[in-house]
Amino acid sequence: MDPLIEAFGLTKAFPVSRTWRQMLRAERPRLKAVDGIDLTIRRGDSIGLVGESGSGKTTVGRLLLKLTSITSGQLTYRGDHLDRMKGARLRGFRQQAQLVFQNPFDALNPRFNIRRIVAEPLVNLGVPRAEHETRTADSLRLVGLAEPQRYLDRLPHQLSGGQLQRIVLARALVVGPEFLVADEPVSMLDVSVRAGILNLMRDLKERLSLTSFTISHDLTLVRYICSRTLVMYLGRIIEQGPTEEIIARPAHPYTKALIAAVPRPDVDQPRDALPISGAIGSAATPPSGCRLRHRCPYAFARCASEEPPLIEVAPGHTAACHLHIA
Amino acid sequence: MGTLLEVKGLSVSYRRGGVAVRAVDAVDLDVPAGAMLGLVGESGCGKSTLARALMGVLPGNASIDGGRVALDGEDLTELTPAKRRQRLWRELSFVPQTSMNALDPVYRLRDQMREVLCERGGLPTKAADERAVALFRSVGLDPVRLTDFPHQFSGGMRQRAAIAMALALNPKLVIADEPVTALDVIVQRQVLDTIRRLGRDLGLSAIIVTHDISVVTYLCGLTAVMYAGRIVEQGTTEALTRRPTHPYTMGLMNASPDLHEPVETLVPIEGAPPDLADPPKGCRFAPRCPLALAACRESDPPPVVVEPGHSAACFRAAEAGALREAARKASTWTR
Ligand SMILES: Nc1ncnc2c1ncn2[C@@H]1O[C@H](COP(=O)(O)OP(=O)(O)OP(=O)(O)O)[C@@H](O)[C@H]1O
Ligand SMILES: Nc1ncnc2c1ncn2[C@@H]1O[C@H](COP(=O)(O)OP(=O)(O)OP(=O)(O)O)[C@@H](O)[C@H]1O
Ligand code: SF4
Ligand SMILES: [Mg+2]
Ligand SMILES: [Mg+2]
Repeated sequence: MDPLIEAFGLTKAFPVSRTWRQMLRAERPRLKAVDGIDLTIRRGDSIGLVGESGSGKTTVGRLLLKLTSITSGQLTYRGDHLDRMKGARLRGFRQQAQLVFQNPFDALNPRFNIRRIVAEPLVNLGVPRAEHETRTADSLRLVGLAEPQRYLDRLPHQLSGGQLQRIVLARALVVGPEFLVADEPVSMLDVSVRAGILNLMRDLKERLSLTSFTISHDLTLVRYICSRTLVMYLGRIIEQGPTEEIIARPAHPYTKALIAAVPRPDVDQPRDALPISGAIGSAATPPSGCRLRHRCPYAFARCASEEPPLIEVAPGHTAACHLHIA
Repeated sequence: MGTLLEVKGLSVSYRRGGVAVRAVDAVDLDVPAGAMLGLVGESGCGKSTLARALMGVLPGNASIDGGRVALDGEDLTELTPAKRRQRLWRELSFVPQTSMNALDPVYRLRDQMREVLCERGGLPTKAADERAVALFRSVGLDPVRLTDFPHQFSGGMRQRAAIAMALALNPKLVIADEPVTALDVIVQRQVLDTIRRLGRDLGLSAIIVTHDISVVTYLCGLTAVMYAGRIVEQGTTEALTRRPTHPYTMGLMNASPDLHEPVETLVPIEGAPPDLADPPKGCRFAPRCPLALAACRESDPPPVVVEPGHSAACFRAAEAGALREAARKASTWTR
């Protein structure tokens, strides 16, 4: 199938504040939050992006939705370059691609009622007023709020966290998008409510044949929604493959750490020690060679001198680690 | 080992626009010396209110309506507020829900440590600085960073600094409110390992407040489950997670995903906890409970001991074995 989205060498750099010494030497340090990633998203794919805080996940999501500009590299949507998209094409894209925010409490204007909040994207896209009421109500039903009239006149603070997250979803879905980016869609919710939202997202993906891109630091959640997963570390994709395969046979030491770190409800499960140590550090000063090497228990000389490329470790499963190259 | 903290019949209300909201209702809880107790429940169930009441740091519109809180046999609720404050840090200390609240943004960490160690603990400056270095090391922070301001720390580092501060005066009991909720899985695990090590090496007694059962199973030997202001089940973490007896606990277990189990459709608990300004009659979980009987909506179920050290406040506690079977089925929970 044709790719919906393709990226080559996608890079986003932010300026960072300079020290006096750097100013004197006219150095302009930059932080590459996303550093040369390649990506193919086909229609109907459900892709997960996992990694620690600061690894660059949100920045990737914002790039995919053209909410921030590309520093270098290429990004296409149905073959059109996103950075050159304008006019009717851009309006079409704004309808087709939607974002589900991380925190429902921040994402919604506290003074607007639910009717106005959910209809807002329709207003922005110039959809005729007459259609708003039905489309808003349909969207609420779609996310499992069976009696829309009960919610439309309420304010955000009059709803529970789970209901609010459904509103955030309804708002993203009201314009009938084909591509959905969800940034930590359930991290602010109670476990009891999370389950409902994860089930809903799974179900919507099927029913609406959505293409989805879900961001989270927790593989446990990504697994419910995504058939393929990308693992990100300091601006780079370091492993990718089918989600279940990555969980069962992680190839990169970092992915192993993400899996070992996940808390589990069972009391006497085997508790693997965390295989990596220390903290992620800043993308402004990434280490030479493999970016994980200071934290990796397996690092050897080559890890400091050469950056490992992504190579295939199993069909459709790639990892960037020298242990798999030898 | 004896009981370190004994809570009996503790009730706390907030005044909100003329109505009283009973956020903690007749809570009984024991923490033995050297134990870690996990306090779990959904948002709004009163966990933070209970934690703050134990510490004696409730906001102005809250009042203690009854009950006692005894630390090593001494009733803290009878102390004057001034006396009570003296106990803070030295006997009981607190890691609040947002660690940023524990740290003052305009002071360097060293100065904040000195404030606790010198002013509260009476140490001379030099000894305080030495102790601060040791404390930073014990929570896995580089003592060089003591001269930093909180904003120079990552979320995980701030959380560790807040824990170091809570440990400063060797308190008998530490209460940590959602110590890892805002952190990514790796940093979360590092902080949990730090707390675990302190438990093992220093015999630290602690109450860990969390909405995540997986945090409790990793850290705590004992668990208390809170729902709508009440403790609905308590016991060893092992007994409680293997043989959950209150349907709410069963529901929480069902809704908690396990990365190493096959993906199944997760079972949510439909609905939301009640408004505490107007709680339902009878068992407070009844409106959401798929196993409720008519009697459950009539009167409050008292706690029943189901095995030594394990109790649950449910009329159907005696049938728990059969109910667990039913509760495992998704169809039981969907209406
Ligand atoms: N607007 C910005 N200006 C400067 N730096 C930025 C900006 N946005 C992000 N960064 C930096 O880029 C890096 C990646 O940030 P990003 O928010 O994409 O990470 P993330 O993986 O989403 O983290 P989290 O899990 O904490 O949300 C971080 O070092 C961050 O500080
Ligand atoms: N200062 C306050 N004034 C009035 N009501 C309050 C106040 N603080 C909390 N409440 C109410 O008391 C109840 C219990 O709140 P509490 O913060 O103890 O819950 P919690 O279990 O800690 O929830 P969370 O998991 O969201 O932190 C809630 O209904 C809340 O709205
Ligand atoms: S390349 Fe080297 S340092 Fe990087 S993850 Fe593999 S073994 Fe570790
Ligand atoms: Mg992010
Ligand atoms: Mg709380």
